[in-house]
Amino acid sequence: MSYKADTSNGTIEKGFTYGLSQSLTIAIGYAPVAITFGILATQFGLTFWEAGLMSLFVYAGASQFIAIEMIHQGATPLMIGVTTLIVNIRHFIMSLSVVPYFPERSLPWSLGLAQGLTDETFVLNTKVLKNVEGEENRRRVMLGINLGAYATWVSFTILGGLIGKWLPIQFSGFQFALLALFIILTTSSLSKKNYFTYILAAALAVFLKLLIPGKIYLIISVVVAAGIGAWWRGKKASESVGCDSQKSI
Amino acid sequence: MSIQLLETVLLMTIVTYGSRVLPFLLFKGKNVKGFARDFIELVPIALLAALVVPELVTPSGTIVIVNNPFLWAGILTFLFSKFVPNLFLGILFGMSVFWGLDKLLV
Repeated sequence: MSYKADTSNGTIEKGFTYGLSQSLTIAIGYAPVAITFGILATQFGLTFWEAGLMSLFVYAGASQFIAIEMIHQGATPLMIGVTTLIVNIRHFIMSLSVVPYFPERSLPWSLGLAQGLTDETFVLNTKVLKNVEGEENRRRVMLGINLGAYATWVSFTILGGLIGKWLPIQFSGFQFALLALFIILTTSSLSKKNYFTYILAAALAVFLKLLIPGKIYLIISVVVAAGIGAWWRGKKASESVGCDSQKSI
Repeated sequence: MSIQLLETVLLMTIVTYGSRVLPFLLFKGKNVKGFARDFIELVPIALLAALVVPELVTPSGTIVIVNNPFLWAGILTFLFSKFVPNLFLGILFGMSVFWGLDKLLV
């Protein structure tokens, strides 16, 4: 291939450094959230290095915030594990749709690239990898993107933890910080397509919380509400397919 | 580190990394469709509801509406973040409003 053809197609050789530079946009987004996580984790009783270890091993923002809220509320490790599973099972779908970019992958590459997959790196990778020629290059680009984001998340968690250690604990506002965070996430993710599930889950959770002791109401209400919501969507979809008289099962 | 926290982090790591790595180990590439996909898509919003709403409505075990700083701080934070979609400012706003209401309503 000539240089001319390469540049005109926008497919110049891209590798690790290119990926790393692309990860900067994610790093800018991650840094403040990771600092917030570090601060809140220490305010809720974790040490800065425990917060750092959680970011290093789990590396999934939303579920980490949920975990420290649940630890604070007194949930058992098993309960937190199950909740994490139902929150993070979506990574399975993202992983499935990234895998076709790497048909020849080796075991170490599989194990390494998988850990870097988050909502944000998934979106960026799918956008970037389309324009990278050759599996070898795509692996290096993804490694760059993933590593940049991962390093940011872990290091800024520790920084936040260190800041949190020095903040005054007596400020009662901190006990509302996580709820505020979840409410803000709700505002940005609530839509016409899911508000039915939201209301159902909320009503079920309040009802079950008053009825059953412990934290199990969280899991029951989430599974039932998401299940009914998904069933409802499927029903509506099959009704619209039925109009086309394509198939009737 | 307490055993409880260690167990928590370990379980969280297993289920999260498991979700990430299994397709890399098992599949050439496939798409999840239908009920499973809808269900997985709806879990986050359902969980947000289940985590937040009971804490706002029943902070001390029974339903409280008027003298409840959690509920009013929650509603105000929701409205604030509709107009100012910034995570950091939203959390600051929520904490300050809660702190103020907590002083006022007790």
